[in-house]
Amino acid sequence: MALLDIRNLNLAMRSYEGETQILHGIDLVIERGEIWGMVGETGSGKSLTGLSISRLIPTPPGRYLAGSIEFQGTDVLKAAERDMRRLRGRHIGTIFQDPTTNLNPVFRIGTQIVDVALHAGHADPTVLGLSAGASRREFKRAAREKAIEMLDKVGIPKAAERIDDYPHQFSGGMRQRVLIAMAMIGKPDLLIADEPTTALDVSVQAQILRLIHDLVAERNIGVLLITHNLGVVAQICTHVAVMHRGRILESGKVGDVLKRPAHVYTQALLNSVPTVHTKRGELRGLSGLTPESFA
Amino acid sequence: MSLVIENVTKTFPGQRQGLFGRGDSFTALDDVSLRVAKGASFGLVGESGSGKTTLTRCILRLESLTSGRILFDGADVHALASAEMRRLRSRLQIVFQDPYASLDPRMTIHDIVAEPLVIHRDVVKMTERQRTERVAELLLQVGLGTQHLFRYPHEFSGGQRQRIGIARALAVRPEFLILDEPTSALDVSVQAEVLNLLHRLQVELGLTYFFISHDLGVIRYICDDVAVIYRGKLVEQGPVAEIFDRPQNDYTRMLLNAMPDPDPDRSPFRRPAEAGVGA
Repeated sequence: MALLDIRNLNLAMRSYEGETQILHGIDLVIERGEIWGMVGETGSGKSLTGLSISRLIPTPPGRYLAGSIEFQGTDVLKAAERDMRRLRGRHIGTIFQDPTTNLNPVFRIGTQIVDVALHAGHADPTVLGLSAGASRREFKRAAREKAIEMLDKVGIPKAAERIDDYPHQFSGGMRQRVLIAMAMIGKPDLLIADEPTTALDVSVQAQILRLIHDLVAERNIGVLLITHNLGVVAQICTHVAVMHRGRILESGKVGDVLKRPAHVYTQALLNSVPTVHTKRGELRGLSGLTPESFA
Repeated sequence: MSLVIENVTKTFPGQRQGLFGRGDSFTALDDVSLRVAKGASFGLVGESGSGKTTLTRCILRLESLTSGRILFDGADVHALASAEMRRLRSRLQIVFQDPYASLDPRMTIHDIVAEPLVIHRDVVKMTERQRTERVAELLLQVGLGTQHLFRYPHEFSGGQRQRIGIARALAVRPEFLILDEPTSALDVSVQAEVLNLLHRLQVELGLTYFFISHDLGVIRYICDDVAVIYRGKLVEQGPVAEIFDRPQNDYTRMLLNAMPDPDPDRSPFRRPAEAGVGA
């Protein structure tokens, strides 16, 4: 059984102008130990695919026309809300793009992580190293210890002191680490990272990628990394899916797809990235692609 | 138009402490010197907080200097009288980073692009009719059309908005263009188009570019010379090929190594053998 098995996912969104189909038959299988990169331009449906996995798209306005998402054998789209709440944050961890908007500025970092730890702990006390009958005080203390341990693990110096800081006292890279710590606290089996490094400097980006890479090596989890940066995909992903307008045009091992792209669109995307080795005038972009290219 | 920056230092005063006290001051720019030749593209690379934006603000005289000089064609920007400064500003334009924030949502594209022509009317001297013609010409130049004249910014995509930002910057026929991360908010494919547009415009109009970016690939693509700024100090500068191929400074080397290359074989996380076929 695969860790995550998305079959023929079709999603439509309703707006004032009527219903538009956003995802057209997405198929994706993620096994443990794999880091899947999902690349595509703005509006190609990458994030909506990611959100669908933990069923975070409200229906309505969303509507699943067809397809299934099986996470460890559970059909996520049909599960009860109670069961979903147990999955989210416990078995499926999510890191969102913007660390500034995803931390509440009026609560201390610690309070926010402890919240997540308690949530995971109530679903499964072993996460906090407790037995089911532990008292509330024990839960609270264990959650705080866990929070410090996680902050330490993601590389926040002096975690025990800084846990009572507010988000504005942390830099962008540190905030992103806090979000990763939160996502990892429930020891998830699947980590969904939606553009985790887009808002960060390259040197910080390298550290965050190293962190994700090490987590996979250590815990043998599966990762879905949503990004528009082909460089990031080439660096840490084992597999990649190229999305365009709600369809996966091409997917496979990173080495195969990026080295020998089968689809002209993938080739065009690769040609759009200026690297250290591109000379002026060599960038081609997507000009020359016609609707027939996608047939 | 050539730009010379000589030993520029900018210190911000520290936080007030009590009635007369001051905290430690912060040195945002520390003895920065650089030279941008006429018609060249100069790239400034640095991470957030390194002083890139402070330097641009100083160049535009939006910020005063603590010491040093900034010369445009030999004239000291910070010593000019305000009327002269206004004239200089018409030769000196800027394209901002975020095309979603830098266009007024309540103005039509025509009004946005024509605004610099109105502000600098004593220099450009155009009638309203001529302005509209000039705007139409500019839109064509950046790859948009006259059908876009009376639309509003929300009707455009990120790449199109950045083109509008470029058209606005070009309206008064400047000689010097400051590009503050003009493509960092865009998709790679759109970025490629905008970079090619900038390159074409430079060739056609003989512009001088001062290009700020944290993306070394972009800098390498568009610039002739590059300076690397770290914590307010220029750690290295020189021709692009030289800096990229033979970086002397540790920080530059770290930046180059941290830049993700879309070639899986160059990943620091795996050996080439693992990325190959059927691995």
